[in-house]
Amino acid sequence: MSEPAPGHRIALPFLLFAVVTVVVLALPGAREVSAQAKSSETALEAQKLAWDDNAPGPKQPIPFSHAIHAGQYQIQCLYCHTGTDRSRMAGVPSVENCMGCHAQFGGDLEGVQILKKHWEEKTPIEWQQIHRLPEYVKFRHNRHIQAGVACQTCHGPVQEMNKVYLVPDRGWMNGVPVAKLEMGWCINCHNKNKASIDCLTCHH
Amino acid sequence: MPELDRRDFLKLVGVGAGAAAAAGCSDPVEKLIPYVVQPDIITPGIPVYYASTCRECPAGCGLHVKTREGRPIKLEGNPEHPVNKGSLCARGQAGLGRTYHPDRFPGPMLRGSDGKLAPISWKDATELVATKLRGGAGGAYLLGSDPGPTASGVLDKWVAAVGAGGRIVYEPFAPEALVEAAQLVFGNASEPVFDLSKADLVVSFANDFLETWVSPVEHARQLAEARDISAHPEGGARFVYFGPRLSMTASSSDEWIPARPGSEGILAMALARVVLENGGGSASERALLAGVLDGFDAERAAARTGVDAKTIERVGKALAKAKAPIALPPAGGFASNRARAATAAVLVLNQLTGAVGKTLALLPLPSDGKRASYKELLALVDSMKSGKVSVLLVHGADPAYSMPQTTDFADALTKVPFVVSFASSTDETSALAHLILPEHTPLESWGDAQPRAGVRSVLQPAVRPLQDTQALIDALLDIGRAVSPEVAAKLPTGSFRTLLEAAWSDADFRQVLQRGGVFAEKSGPASASLSPGVAKLGVADPVLEGEGDYVLLALPSPLLYDGRGANLPWLQEIPDPVTKIVWQSWLEVSHETAQKLGLVAGDVVVIETGGQRRAEVPVVPRGGIRNDVVALAVGQGHTQGLYASRELERGVNDPQGKRLYPLPENAGRQVARGVNVISLLAAATDEAGGRAWLTTKAKLTKAGRSERVAFTGANDNMRERMLGEAITLSDLVAGKSVVDPEMLGLAASVKERLQDAARRGEEMTPPAGVPAEALTRNGELIAFNPADDAKPGSPYRWGMSIDLDRCTGCSACVAACYLENNVPIVGEEQSIRGRIMSWLRLERYVTDGDIDYVGGRPPHSTLERLGHVGVRHLPMLCQHCGSAPCEPVCPVFATYHNPEGLNGMVYNRCIGTRYCSNNCPYKVRRFNYFDYSLETWPEPMKLMLNPDVTVRCQGVMEKCTYCAQRVEFARQPAKNEKRLIRDGEVTPACAQSCPTQAITFGNLKDADSQVAKKASDPKRGYHALHVLNTRPATTYLAKVVRGPVEV
Repeated sequence: MSEPAPGHRIALPFLLFAVVTVVVLALPGAREVSAQAKSSETALEAQKLAWDDNAPGPKQPIPFSHAIHAGQYQIQCLYCHTGTDRSRMAGVPSVENCMGCHAQFGGDLEGVQILKKHWEEKTPIEWQQIHRLPEYVKFRHNRHIQAGVACQTCHGPVQEMNKVYLVPDRGWMNGVPVAKLEMGWCINCHNKNKASIDCLTCHH
Repeated sequence: MPELDRRDFLKLVGVGAGAAAAAGCSDPVEKLIPYVVQPDIITPGIPVYYASTCRECPAGCGLHVKTREGRPIKLEGNPEHPVNKGSLCARGQAGLGRTYHPDRFPGPMLRGSDGKLAPISWKDATELVATKLRGGAGGAYLLGSDPGPTASGVLDKWVAAVGAGGRIVYEPFAPEALVEAAQLVFGNASEPVFDLSKADLVVSFANDFLETWVSPVEHARQLAEARDISAHPEGGARFVYFGPRLSMTASSSDEWIPARPGSEGILAMALARVVLENGGGSASERALLAGVLDGFDAERAAARTGVDAKTIERVGKALAKAKAPIALPPAGGFASNRARAATAAVLVLNQLTGAVGKTLALLPLPSDGKRASYKELLALVDSMKSGKVSVLLVHGADPAYSMPQTTDFADALTKVPFVVSFASSTDETSALAHLILPEHTPLESWGDAQPRAGVRSVLQPAVRPLQDTQALIDALLDIGRAVSPEVAAKLPTGSFRTLLEAAWSDADFRQVLQRGGVFAEKSGPASASLSPGVAKLGVADPVLEGEGDYVLLALPSPLLYDGRGANLPWLQEIPDPVTKIVWQSWLEVSHETAQKLGLVAGDVVVIETGGQRRAEVPVVPRGGIRNDVVALAVGQGHTQGLYASRELERGVNDPQGKRLYPLPENAGRQVARGVNVISLLAAATDEAGGRAWLTTKAKLTKAGRSERVAFTGANDNMRERMLGEAITLSDLVAGKSVVDPEMLGLAASVKERLQDAARRGEEMTPPAGVPAEALTRNGELIAFNPADDAKPGSPYRWGMSIDLDRCTGCSACVAACYLENNVPIVGEEQSIRGRIMSWLRLERYVTDGDIDYVGGRPPHSTLERLGHVGVRHLPMLCQHCGSAPCEPVCPVFATYHNPEGLNGMVYNRCIGTRYCSNNCPYKVRRFNYFDYSLETWPEPMKLMLNPDVTVRCQGVMEKCTYCAQRVEFARQPAKNEKRLIRDGEVTPACAQSCPTQAITFGNLKDADSQVAKKASDPKRGYHALHVLNTRPATTYLAKVVRGPVEV
């Protein structure tokens, strides 16, 4: 278990971004596109919806729309949430990660302006947590990704959400109704998929 | 208006409660705060390890610092490091808490005229010190511990550049006499390094090498190697301990000979004489020593040492006969004013028995770095008193605590107009300092260490400094540069980090940081010759001050060492390996002494050692100490520090002003926790100016009151139950088994198991190597295979084996368990109430524990007898029974048997009935009577919690999980690769830390696993309290009783 300090490793998303940037900048006319970058109506609308007080879910510090990123642009979840396939914890992207794209795009959007302020001031973004498990549950993201469980199974159709919220889902466990992210809900799925239902798997 | 009936009332209440609950649930309360820039090597949830070096004592063990999300959460030994080879003692592991200690200074502090500390900026502080140095730095002195070779070199340059008076290295228990004695005996400057691993006879002259001397982790490993019963069926090295007290080290010996304290030199001379008479030594050595050994015949030595002549003859002959004997000189608390002569006598004995080149290497002294010198320190104290010292800069030491009172160090300190302390957290010296410039803790620092010639070890920061601190060298360089441009020109340029890299330029620095250093072990000369100087060794009885009847032993504590561990709560709460007392000071006296003075355990005595030196301390009578000796451990008696003093109990540091559990009765009565034995000692030095600790006689008088002693193990009597078992070597050789077939098993349950097996269509077969007749009685099978106690389809049945023959009782495993599993600290008062929370404890029993009394209470709570070893250290943790008594009594299924054989404990199910604990025969379940965790980890200590282990709250039962989190961690790669977890991939924290590798963990279903092989030992393997038929997964391997050395 004791590995000496690993050496440097270039983060995959950063590498991808570098490649994309080089390609984009090499295209004729790309410079003008990025300079005058005007965001689409869809983006503006998505942003408005992400801060819609009437929509379910808590207000986030930035009007970030998953529907635009994961839905319209079809960016893979793991592209931003790195490490989720390797670690127990899901990686919430760093400000640097966001700036990888938004240094170039979407400068006219309010959300991106807030993001840039965080980047300039080097302050982290304090997101409101939506999918929360108690401290005594040691959920392993990597195990579920390895088993081929789609992120949406627990997190809902995030690619359709402008404002993320905990999509209600009820099941029945031993005649008792259980809500999403409650233990019976987990056990139901574990039973269906013949996964371990030993207590120590999650509680230690 | 209709009356509100009960049913309606409940409805209304129900709606209200529901609404409240819904409101409580709808808004997320937690925030997700990702990095601004995520470092490349950090993935949240995956630990990163850094190689570094432990600075808790001068041994210089290699570390692997486990960090999560940039925070160190556990210290483990570096397996590549030649000193500790992957293990780490309790002190080293608890050192993690220094970085997160609530007593740390937030930044530089200046003491105002009102005596209170106020923050000051680094710039102003640096300028302030520079101003003091500008007017002539001749009166400025640097005093501190050895900061490592590179830092030491820079400090010397700094002293020269600034023109300071000098630099003194201070280490309270520095083995100064050893180097001096080697010079005297072998005629050249060398550092004797003892290697016990190749020895066949170890003779310790009151040397507690398993506790604190030079390199305890390394010595423990070497001794275990030399005595490994599987490699040496004849028993391996024999170990004889001469000393007045049955210490932790002595409890691992085969023969404890209670010699008079201070007589070690005489004893060594007498033994040397017997060795010479029995063919040891060369002709020239015989000629050289003829006159020296004249007065040391066995008869006369017997009268002076308290060891009878026959024993001296016997051990002497054994030494002469042994192929690779090793003799260890008196050290620690046994360094008297004749320490050099005594050490030299032991080195002569080593030379005569041919140890040099085999078990004793005479390595060259490290050329860089400066050695500790008590002589220089005493000279400094004199100049302080006479007002010649204008500025004193203290780093890495606490002389105001650890200097004898008779040197008046604290008084001398008040005569220094400007005292600067570099302490990172509160201690006695910083409390007297004018300016505090806190340095980084070792986990935040760059640096290096040189444990011995050829072994160079590096320190690298594993965390960004938590407080506004600076590296010692950087702070001093800044000060020097601020003095004047001329001084700055003489100082090395760059930061300490660059200077360190330059000092390591002969090696690939990146590789050094990965491996933890450069390890090129050197060997000394194959032989040595005695210098003519030995003709005048001057071995004699030490001179002791004071008028009392008892010799006062001030021994370094195995946990608190010289007092530096006292502010780390784990070291306070881990029981003393000998008496099992926590959080307190106690005076060990013999039963006879106690009887003479009319004392029982807990009665307070006034101890007077001459002059104004007196203290009051409760006594603990025991059989394992000479009648003419009393012993008091060094380390307690601090007046500063949240845990080291009684500050916590007075509640002054409680941020909310709120107590979570009632104040103890003695709250606020005194500020000091226990007694600082150093304040009782006379200031004496040995022949070469090294510090003497065996200096004083003590007078005892009954104080007429008593105190509650915080015993955590009340009794060392096993009462004939199968707990800490032992087997004699002759029985082992004769093929006998520690388990008496007559005592085995409950027939009924065996029958049941046989029927079960028959129903499954299986046949129960005895484990390999076990004779069938040992397993049956009246034709019924009475043995079992613990591997059966898992779900039939499961590939694993986790199990453990603990080799009691290797266990020394050092408690490293206990510390590992505390830090890995977020085990809370409960404090002195709760410990007295028996609510200590350790999941793993070390029980200590003496002999087979016969019931030697009829009715009523035993005469003493201890079965120790003078000159009788018979100590069994028994690491006791959850046995993960196959038929666990705790499981069926839990009404809510919070504890259960898992498919892999573990006895699971689900905290979130537990409702706190405590039935399980009541039904556990091993008493390994711990209950959270209070929310201890809130007090255990005040800010910022919460940062060091292991995020993979749930923090338990009030009302919840907890216990050892076999480090289930580590099993789960190892499962991930195995599942990804679609294979089983390999043997050795899971190592629980206790097994990982053990210096002697006494603990083995693994899969009992895999017949080739290390643990399965060890657990099936037909001769030594047994289960604790096996008559209860709990079918434990933990197999103990009985201690081997080798008996006294014979010739």
